[in-house]
Amino acid sequence: MRFLIDIIIAVAVAVAVGVGSAWYAVGKGHVFGGVTVGAWTAWPHDGSLDADPYALARLARTGEIPLGAGEGLAFTATDDSDGAPLDGACTYTVSGETPAARLWTLTATDADGHLMANIASRQGITSREVVRTIDGDFSVTVAAAVQPGNWLPIAAAHRFDLVLRLYDTPLATGAQLATLTMPAISKAGCP
Amino acid sequence: MRRTLLFIIGGIFVGGILHVAVVFLVPYYAGKDAYAAIGDLGADGQFHLLPQADAGKEAMPGLDPHLMEAVCRFDLSGGPIHVHAAMPDDFWSVAVFDTLSRNVYSLTDRAAEGTGLDLALLTSVQMAQARQNPPPWLETSIALELPIDSGFIVLRALVPDDSLLPGVTAALSGAVCSEPLAAG
Repeated sequence: MRFLIDIIIAVAVAVAVGVGSAWYAVGKGHVFGGVTVGAWTAWPHDGSLDADPYALARLARTGEIPLGAGEGLAFTATDDSDGAPLDGACTYTVSGETPAARLWTLTATDADGHLMANIASRQGITSREVVRTIDGDFSVTVAAAVQPGNWLPIAAAHRFDLVLRLYDTPLATGAQLATLTMPAISKAGCP
Repeated sequence: MRRTLLFIIGGIFVGGILHVAVVFLVPYYAGKDAYAAIGDLGADGQFHLLPQADAGKEAMPGLDPHLMEAVCRFDLSGGPIHVHAAMPDDFWSVAVFDTLSRNVYSLTDRAAEGTGLDLALLTSVQMAQARQNPPPWLETSIALELPIDSGFIVLRALVPDDSLLPGVTAALSGAVCSEPLAAG
């Protein structure tokens, strides 16, 4: 009887530890292979043939289609350049320069990666639309309320993420990622 | 009491093995992956146009709202296939994935060196056969020798402006996913 109880305890511990930790690791998102530059992180091996099992499990759970290495590379920011989480109630400035790419798009999503309804019914800004300064830099204001100049509208509600997708970039095919110049995300103000 | 503690420690070790097993098995049993989702859109072997992503209207998660996509499941077991489309002059890209959403091939319009998409998809065996007796399409199409039999293709095109949406939609709707190619 005692032995049986011990076996049941062992099995319960095994299932709780094994399945629980696997569920957590896969559900949490990315585990390995992230390249962080400033506030931005990319996962260049996501969905490549040498993707790790956690990345594959995550893709299978979310149903996401990653960008192929020959197409481009997506960077995600969940925090501003000071490390504070991006908050929809605040106003941010994304400024500086992007790595070499033929085209880039900057999009805001909620913390689960879904697009958000906003007052402008516009989901992002691209390198084609953005107005630059004379030296080629740009500055985009991220805010829920209407802004002059380059404006990326967001939902006022809660936390949000920024996604910068670089298309047709030499980076995706293996150039040095860590020495990149990425735009800074600075908090311009909170109510 | 000490014996129970041993069983708990043993349980933790077995749990570690279970963790690895679960992580490895998830891709095969998840059923919500991109390959399954594309299967739900309609028949295999033809492109399905995804509506441009907007808030609350995302055909698949994580798509760029500035681009428009068409997706297609393909199968090479019946022979090599021809993927072709007349594409807009602006940015477009194509990517081939296996059933687990691993990217096996991708290129952009610049690498394609023209405005049209013209790919021939073959398995290694089919490629060896085609090389023995080269059919005319081996010269004109970009021939891709794939390490897989089945998977899916994603065709993306930039919508630079809402006024250009009809043109992009027409190009993607006209894309042909699996026209059979004669062995030669």
